[in-house]
Amino acid sequence: MSTVVNIVIYGIIMGGVYGLISMGLTLQYGVGKILNVSHGEFLMLSAMTSCVLVKAGVHPLLTFVICLPAAFIVGFILNMTLYRWLRNFSKDEATFESNAMLMSFGLYFILANIGLKIWGTLSKSYQFYSYPVKILGATIIVNRLIGLGIAIVFIIAFFIFLNKTRLGKAIRATSQSTTAAAMMGVRINKTMAICFGTGGLLAAAAGILIGMSFSPTAQIGLTNTVIALIVVVLGGMGSIPGAVLGGLLIGLVGQAVSFFDTSLVTVAYYLMIIILLLIRPKGLLGR
Amino acid sequence: MAMLEINNINCFYGNVQALWDVSMNVGEGEIVALLGANGAGKTTLLNTVTGLVKPASGHVSFMGKSLDGVPVHSIMEMGIAYLPEGGRTFPDMSIRENLEMGAYPRSMWKTRKAGIDRMFELFPRLKERSKQMASTLSGGEKQMLAMARGLMSNPKLCLFDELSYGLAPIMVTEVFRIVQSLREDGITVLLVEQNVKQSMEIADRAYVLENGHIALEGPCCDLMDNSYVKKAYLGL
Ligand SMILES: Nc1ncnc2c1ncn2[C@@H]1O[C@H](COP(=O)(O)OP(=O)(O)O)[C@@H](O)[C@H]1O
Ligand SMILES: [Mg+2]
Repeated sequence: MSTVVNIVIYGIIMGGVYGLISMGLTLQYGVGKILNVSHGEFLMLSAMTSCVLVKAGVHPLLTFVICLPAAFIVGFILNMTLYRWLRNFSKDEATFESNAMLMSFGLYFILANIGLKIWGTLSKSYQFYSYPVKILGATIIVNRLIGLGIAIVFIIAFFIFLNKTRLGKAIRATSQSTTAAAMMGVRINKTMAICFGTGGLLAAAAGILIGMSFSPTAQIGLTNTVIALIVVVLGGMGSIPGAVLGGLLIGLVGQAVSFFDTSLVTVAYYLMIIILLLIRPKGLLGR
Repeated sequence: MAMLEINNINCFYGNVQALWDVSMNVGEGEIVALLGANGAGKTTLLNTVTGLVKPASGHVSFMGKSLDGVPVHSIMEMGIAYLPEGGRTFPDMSIRENLEMGAYPRSMWKTRKAGIDRMFELFPRLKERSKQMASTLSGGEKQMLAMARGLMSNPKLCLFDELSYGLAPIMVTEVFRIVQSLREDGITVLLVEQNVKQSMEIADRAYVLENGHIALEGPCCDLMDNSYVKKAYLGL
């Protein structure tokens, strides 16, 4: 019984983190048609930076105020420069899409190596509410519950932002018809840059949560990009609720399978994807 | 000077010329029809007005101001509503949200509620479905939503691209009736259509575009008697 509770609670906790990363990835693809392979590097850089800051005496929660705006600005500027140039050079949308993925591969190499150069392969960690509590017989470390709480706050805030604010509506409109949104007066370039920056911000938030509960290294970027890709394909490309649902599913399945055999987790993910794509080629909530 | 002036537009897609020295104008308060078969270049001409397509040469001006090089996102704030072919409503947004997007510019955003109420009066069908996603609407309802969204910004000029295309005859009549009613609100209309007969019935003047050339122009009452128009477009 306590094992099941343990799996479920840890599954939800990981699901929250995966949901955050994947919302960012799906936003960048849905609005800007950029499949951002460097997404996980934003997470890695933020996780490591936040650990360094905490070691230097900064409160863990305060690192959000530092890492998130930084990630947003880097994403915004990258989009306004590199990706915008690429968009202007590409003869059509399909060409841009493949070029943009290649460019994000380049950024992945650059960012990942910056991380390796600074931190090598050593892991970082700090103590923050790292004592256990009992919930329904299961033993859960408190900082993971705090992390889940923060992830939920971010997810809800992001939904409110998209559905209730003027900018959020412009973002949704742009993802549904770029041309029509432009006709309504939406500045497309700026909106796309905001989305790319916001994607980076969400990855950075997930990175801080990982630093809070685990011991990140400079090598965790690509792993997380791959997980986010799996989640996004599962949930439906471009669907924000799909990213949250997919994240939750991958979190739960990951925990359940790793209870039996950790080495089978990735196999389970891909099996899920294959089965789902056979039944619903557009993903759980995709259109 | 006319409200909308289009002068000597030449436009290419790659090496293929789509518009040949096209000139036309729309006067304030008029309903002008731009007619022509599929592929004649009607949409291309509208796109050069709204900045979606850059012409190789020629000029467009609106109320005395040049539109050359003005980006598409600035057109609406200048007082032009463009309804592209097929409406292009936002499928995964509710009807209310679609209408809100019609008042997106900051100067209009605050008064969007009043605008939506006004549109619900003009299009009662939309009011009943205000919470529904646009993707669940029928073709005719989508077209009405697109019109209402365009009218949210209180435009001085409406550019309608093939409003009636693909609609059931009853809806076509309804949509044309609404276009006609815009005249009473002082809105000028450029109506792009393949539906020659019904367009000529409500328009003051018409231009006929053939293979990128203006083939004919004049008051609709004259064109309707023109033997070429009768034969080629009215099937008489
Ligand atoms: N994006 C495009 N790329 C290349 N050719 C185009 C494009 N859009 C339209 N054309 C061509 O330009 C001509 C005019 O098209 P269009 O303006 O859409 O005509 P209409 O609206 O009158 O049906 C057609 O021959 C069409 O094939
Ligand atoms: Mg057309």
